[in-house]
Amino acid sequence: MSSTYNHTILQLDNVTFQYPGDKTFITHLTFSVGNAEFIGLLGANGSGKSTILKLASGILKPSEGSVSLWGKPLHSYKNKDRAKLLCYLPQLLDINVPFTVREVVSMGLYPYDIHPEMSADEAIEIVGLKEKSGSYIRNLSGGEKRRTFIAMTLLQGAGLLLLDEPLANLDIKYQIEILRLLGELKEKKNISIIMALHDINIALQFEKVMLIKDGKVLGAGNPGAVLTKDLLKEAFDVNIAVKKHDSGGAYISYGNNF
Amino acid sequence: MPKIKISILILISVIILLVSLCLGPRVINPLSLDDLEKEIMLSIRLPRFIVAVLMGMALGASGAVLQGILRNPLADPYILGISSGASLTAAFGLISGYYFLGKFTIPLTAFIGASVVSIIVSAFGWKRGGLWPERLLLAGVGLSFLFQAVLMLLISTSPDEGMRRAVLWIFGDLSIADWSLIPYGFVLVILGLGISISRSKALNALVLGDEFAHSLGFSVYKERVLLFLSVVLMTAASVSLGGIIGFIGLLMPHIVRFSIGADNRFLIPASALCGGAFLCVADLIGKLIMPPAEIPSGIITAIIGSPYFLYLLRRKDVLNL
Repeated sequence: MSSTYNHTILQLDNVTFQYPGDKTFITHLTFSVGNAEFIGLLGANGSGKSTILKLASGILKPSEGSVSLWGKPLHSYKNKDRAKLLCYLPQLLDINVPFTVREVVSMGLYPYDIHPEMSADEAIEIVGLKEKSGSYIRNLSGGEKRRTFIAMTLLQGAGLLLLDEPLANLDIKYQIEILRLLGELKEKKNISIIMALHDINIALQFEKVMLIKDGKVLGAGNPGAVLTKDLLKEAFDVNIAVKKHDSGGAYISYGNNF
Repeated sequence: MPKIKISILILISVIILLVSLCLGPRVINPLSLDDLEKEIMLSIRLPRFIVAVLMGMALGASGAVLQGILRNPLADPYILGISSGASLTAAFGLISGYYFLGKFTIPLTAFIGASVVSIIVSAFGWKRGGLWPERLLLAGVGLSFLFQAVLMLLISTSPDEGMRRAVLWIFGDLSIADWSLIPYGFVLVILGLGISISRSKALNALVLGDEFAHSLGFSVYKERVLLFLSVVLMTAASVSLGGIIGFIGLLMPHIVRFSIGADNRFLIPASALCGGAFLCVADLIGKLIMPPAEIPSGIITAIIGSPYFLYLLRRKDVLNL
């Protein structure tokens, strides 16, 4: 079930990258993201998911190859112009900042001189934090913090979202809530999303997944085609298989692993 | 938006500033000045008042900026070693008694010291095309210890008069203030303040983290260099105007953050205003407490500031910058 699209939004072409003083980490990586695509990026810890997102967002610069956004080299954009088209949300491990929810969400407007149609209060309401808009980030639960930053991302209004594990440590309710929200954005506003995630069961619900190992794409496409026993074994070094439930849904079987 | 709180803060600061201008060993009513009072006001009190306001503003604002760029609630303008470098060169001038530029000798030597040290600290803090907060902080702390040790060596081996002057100056001596220093201080402080306020959105984003700042459309390295430059300008101006005055740069941003929040668009100007008002009060107390002797303002700010800071530490979550 792959979506049809007309435009390539983001293109990584033959990208190679290494951290200073380290061995080459990403080698000749090529992939593209089309209009209104929702891609799950899967791989073991240290497989290169975050590095790929940082390369795609321009935080890291490839040592070889190119990254282009809407057909133009990413680095040729002015910072503010890029921020209106592409938004990167880093992993939020233990973020403690002295701001309130409204202050953080309002920062989504920083790239703009003339404010877009959505207001900070609307973005806060969408993620269900209306009652907490005056609360300090440090007093929120992990899930609420994450939703605050998702609201900031929404307000920033970019057409391409690069999200690094936005569902980590969230209750299933908020995982579903955030996925529903992002799904709606994709449908209504043709937003493209790449999301790094760990939960293979959730990845099974995506239209498209990319399985990463050692900075290389093991497979990309429909989850049914990519998340096979062999590829999962190669990516995660463990024996797991995707099975069909009686109801028709797919799920991960852990077999005799524990 | 804490508009009411900001208005109250501005009002209180302005009242404090006006009152401190009228009070002193002689209480002056600005609405009915005789000739002597005019003279006192114009040649002594007003220049000293303006120098105190400029210094306090520079310290308050640069403290707020540094706590933001270093993401460290304990940062103050002196942590980067800029002031220890400035005091070392100025003390060297004071102790040697070699006044090659008259009244400008101390400010000039201090400014040269501050500039040289900020270049050294940024060279240590520079890696892969950018300034790194942790490296800046460690380089600053390391260099501070070195400069303080050399300073102590200078003071302990110097003749009495030079030593007394140097020690007074190191604790913040506003008694050298006169009109000649004001244009120089004004330009540097306003320039530093202007840069930091104009980059306040970027500072907010940097407080969230470098990756957030990038995603929100800021050039992380460029913004950090500009903000660091604003701190260097303000700290150098402040130290060279009247020596080292502790606690304003540490305390004011915390007090302001507790009252109006941490948004740097308001935090930086409000910390500047409160810093100016606080130093005026400290200077006034220093003049009134044991007349005709004057206690250096740096001693007063530390004596008032330290217990209040400890009180805040107990009451509020100060470590959550």
